[in-house]
Amino acid sequence: MIESAFAQTAVQLILLAMVSLLLPASYRVIAGPRLSDRLAAVDLITTLLIGIIVMLALVEGTEVFVDMATALAAFAFVGTISIARYISEGRVF
Amino acid sequence: MLLEILGVIALLFGLFFCAVGVLGVIRLPDTLTRLHASGKVATLGVFGLLLGAALLIPSTALRLLALGLFVLLTSPVATHAIAASVYRRREVLDELGQEPAPVEADAEAEEPFQVDVTAALSRSRIQDIIEAQERALRHHRPDIKRPSDSD
Repeated sequence: MIESAFAQTAVQLILLAMVSLLLPASYRVIAGPRLSDRLAAVDLITTLLIGIIVMLALVEGTEVFVDMATALAAFAFVGTISIARYISEGRVF
Repeated sequence: MLLEILGVIALLFGLFFCAVGVLGVIRLPDTLTRLHASGKVATLGVFGLLLGAALLIPSTALRLLALGLFVLLTSPVATHAIAASVYRRREVLDELGQEPAPVEADAEAEEPFQVDVTAALSRSRIQDIIEAQERALRHHRPDIKRPSDSD
């Protein structure tokens, strides 16, 4: 848990800025002309979500959120690899 | 107090690279250049955020280090997989920065790019390799019945 009010306010403002970055990143998911653009943007959004979860762990002072971020990183890696294989090969398995 | 100031500086470093990566993904013209921008978010951006979090709450430093190593290992692999899929579908811009000519009307149903290995090697050499493998398999496992072409 963070004690000083300076660090507490800074962490909350940075969390707000990270969440507000999600909206312009989702523009590329909707408007991307190709399938690979959308996949790259979804990968970017999951990477931003990992950062957001870590910032949330700082704000709430709960260490369990870091484990949630690790699980999200693992599943995002598997999903991105399989969808990239689907794009290039036309099939996943 | 010094640790907290250093942590907030590292968090701002990470936030800067996240913002630059999102700006690049919106503004850059091509899939590969967009991937170049979004790769910075995973390495510099998230790693800066994790470093700042480890400085602010030192008791979680070990978990954050594990998460940082995992992100540092997997995210460039994922970016490379997307870039390889773009390259195999030949969706790269040409030297003048123009769109490539569409191979088919439906680009989603396009056949994947494949190298013809059998044309590159000679036919008799491949037959030698296959027969040597089947001999070795029969020597080790004589009970296995190999499927023939008529099956």
